[in-house]
Amino acid sequence: MGRVYMIVLGVLMTGGLWGCGYNDLQGLDEDTKAAWSEVVNQYQRRADLIPNLVATVKGYAAHEKETLEGVVQARAHATGIQVTPEMLKDPAAFEQFQKAQAGLTSALGRLIAIAENYPNLKADQNFRDLQSQLEGTENRITVARKRYIDRVAEYNKMVRYFPTNLTAKFILHLDERPNFSVADEKAVAKPPEVKF
Amino acid sequence: MSRVWRQPARLVVFLGFLLNPLLLSALEVPPLTGRIVDLAGALPAHDSEQLSARLEAHEQQTGNQVAVLILPSLEGEPVEEYSHRVATTWRLGRKGTDNGVLLLIALKERKLRIEVGYGLEGTLTDLRSAHIIRNEIVPRFKAGDIPAGVRAGTDAIVRTIEGTYQAAESPTRDRQLLQSSAFQYVIIGIFVGFLAGLVLSQGLRRARALLGAVLTFMVAQAASILWGVAAAGLTAVLLWMALSAKGPGRRRGFDDWTWYRSSRGGWSGGSFDHGGFSGGGGDFGGGGASGDW
Repeated sequence: MGRVYMIVLGVLMTGGLWGCGYNDLQGLDEDTKAAWSEVVNQYQRRADLIPNLVATVKGYAAHEKETLEGVVQARAHATGIQVTPEMLKDPAAFEQFQKAQAGLTSALGRLIAIAENYPNLKADQNFRDLQSQLEGTENRITVARKRYIDRVAEYNKMVRYFPTNLTAKFILHLDERPNFSVADEKAVAKPPEVKF
Repeated sequence: MSRVWRQPARLVVFLGFLLNPLLLSALEVPPLTGRIVDLAGALPAHDSEQLSARLEAHEQQTGNQVAVLILPSLEGEPVEEYSHRVATTWRLGRKGTDNGVLLLIALKERKLRIEVGYGLEGTLTDLRSAHIIRNEIVPRFKAGDIPAGVRAGTDAIVRTIEGTYQAAESPTRDRQLLQSSAFQYVIIGIFVGFLAGLVLSQGLRRARALLGAVLTFMVAQAASILWGVAAAGLTAVLLWMALSAKGPGRRRGFDDWTWYRSSRGGWSGGSFDHGGFSGGGGDFGGGGASGDW
């Protein structure tokens, strides 16, 4: 019994060094932050494209005031939110950020939709280029969000599971992080589409 | 004791199923059989070979991995989603430089996409991709000449990304990373095994009692770290055998452990193992452009 017992003990003791999940939690914490930065980055990229887009549409459809102003306002609202890593710990701030971006998405959707009515605008090289860039950015946003969702799911699992939840709670003081909702994901996954 | 954590264990399994992101998908990613994967039979063999050779030469020169996939149909899947999935499954481009490009064409939907790896987004921008689609590929597709469109498209892609990267040396980086992570576990394993071996060979009673106290906590965690445990166990047994001089003390080198696979990540398929073509571990962030004809 003695030696076998000892072997078992030695083996299990080794287990203790990994089982607490300290390193994994730290790694996932960084991963979620990095994934979040990528999301913010891509949203910022989209915001940067908008002034040009609005200016181009204005050249052909200046009287579509309401739609144009809607985009400008939604953009101002979205970029007005200060994005910090702290946001990940605050579901309310996260929700606010998500709502503002969703508002910009739908405002942009309306803008692209009215372009349909202006053949000259649709044929404008500048507009088509902006259109391609906007589509590209929307797609990157989708990818970045998907990555964030995956990372956070992984992270949240670690934070909730036993026994790593003990490490998360008492040693690292990590909480669950907010994630994008599925309904919201669907809305964003469809980039505004334009047929030429 | 066991009753206390049987419940959480069940919860873990349940949540695992719930949280495992939606793995179900309509259209499967085809195996990467070569640089040109023509499932629709749209390219004559001659064209396909020529393009393949061109892309291979380009890769040898620059390290960029460019692949073409032609599908009969997307079966209702959005082209962006599918092409991203294919590109990340094939892992085109080198790990670290992420210099892969996928040109995907779906004949039935008359849709196409250029999917650009992270590392090439700076040169093959969304805009440049859109221009290639609009000016090089679509006019030829519209005229009904698929092979010409594919040729012109890949040509434009290759010309755009030429000079971004030099051919990388063999993918040793991958290997080293893998070894260092396995190494870390082996070191800890050996340390613990060493202690256990000492205890075994000298029979320290007090240590036994101490370890017994820790036992209950460890049991719950043992399963997830099997390989580290195996390292410790093996070391313990070897040391025990050596110290008590009962059997032949066979030593194993670290190389035996390079096949160890960490629970997170794992390693990417190395390229060019069997003379065939495989992705080098590149990643894609959704860059590129789509179009139709």
